[in-house]
Amino acid sequence: MVLSLALCACSTAPKNVFLLLPNQDGSTGAITVENKAGSQVVSRPNDASYVKDAATAPTGPATMEKPDIDKVFGDALRAQPEPPLMFILYFDTGKDALTDESKKVLDSILPAIKSRRSTSISIVGHTDRVGRREDNFRLGFDRAGKTRDFLVESGIDASSVEVFSHGEDNPLIKTEDEVPEPRNRRVEVTVR
Amino acid sequence: MWKALFSLSSGAAILAGLLAGAPSAAAQALDIGVIKTVTGSVTVVRGQNSIPATPCMIVLVKDSLVTGKDGSVGVVLKDNSTVSLGPDSEISFQDFQFSPGEGRLSWVSRFVRGTAVFLTGIIGKLSPQSVRVETPVATVGIRGTRFAIKVDE
Repeated sequence: MVLSLALCACSTAPKNVFLLLPNQDGSTGAITVENKAGSQVVSRPNDASYVKDAATAPTGPATMEKPDIDKVFGDALRAQPEPPLMFILYFDTGKDALTDESKKVLDSILPAIKSRRSTSISIVGHTDRVGRREDNFRLGFDRAGKTRDFLVESGIDASSVEVFSHGEDNPLIKTEDEVPEPRNRRVEVTVR
Repeated sequence: MWKALFSLSSGAAILAGLLAGAPSAAAQALDIGVIKTVTGSVTVVRGQNSIPATPCMIVLVKDSLVTGKDGSVGVVLKDNSTVSLGPDSEISFQDFQFSPGEGRLSWVSRFVRGTAVFLTGIIGKLSPQSVRVETPVATVGIRGTRFAIKVDE
């Protein structure tokens, strides 16, 4: 204990670190680190900007080596939750009946909920643009509600499930009004 | 004529039904995510109360998460963002709004100390300018991404 304290005191590790990590799919975004003394964009994975204090500008990006990343951020990295899973179910036109292929997807949601011990599931119903906007809002709810009923009847606690409708307002495929589009007649289930 | 009136009133009934649902929707807006992983000592500070964190616990807007010397914690937020903290760390969720239908999107955190890893979700995709992490030494803005911060001022 005394030894590790001594090591920490001797360490010259930077105090404030802003590190860009690659996404799990291999892509990378960017971060902007800014204070009143300056601003720095970090856009390469595993590059970091360091900030001495609020009155000193962030440094230009420099690569942080893997062992250093693990030393500083290992505990936080290991505590990352699994990213949520998303399932999409498709429906017959104008109805709250699932297409045959989507019935199989529905069955695969239950094991996912159990393996994650999820208590946070959201179900969002969507429609295409055939029919009135208000009717589609209600149809989205009907589709989401039908999906919720299936999960609850299969033993999922109703208090874990939230139901929403975006009606025709949030299409996967943008179309003109009154155009039938099967890919928009859907329910999105997110298991967190 | 009567038929027209009837269809109008049934439309009104649907609207009334939706409005009746509004209070619970407002209550849900406070609920911004759920704790998924807990190791060692972790506390949720909610107003005047400090509550020991447990997996499956709901996180509310304005909550702070505080980890002890041996602690770490991971949270999934409603827009599928994730945040995890290493030991001796503290973050508060100042603002979180996730209503894509109404165009209300915002995620502002105050990261006070320690180590944290962020993965931004749907808010970061739809409205990256609405995601911000404030620290004592600098503010971080994002473009849909995963990043980590250490603050030891």
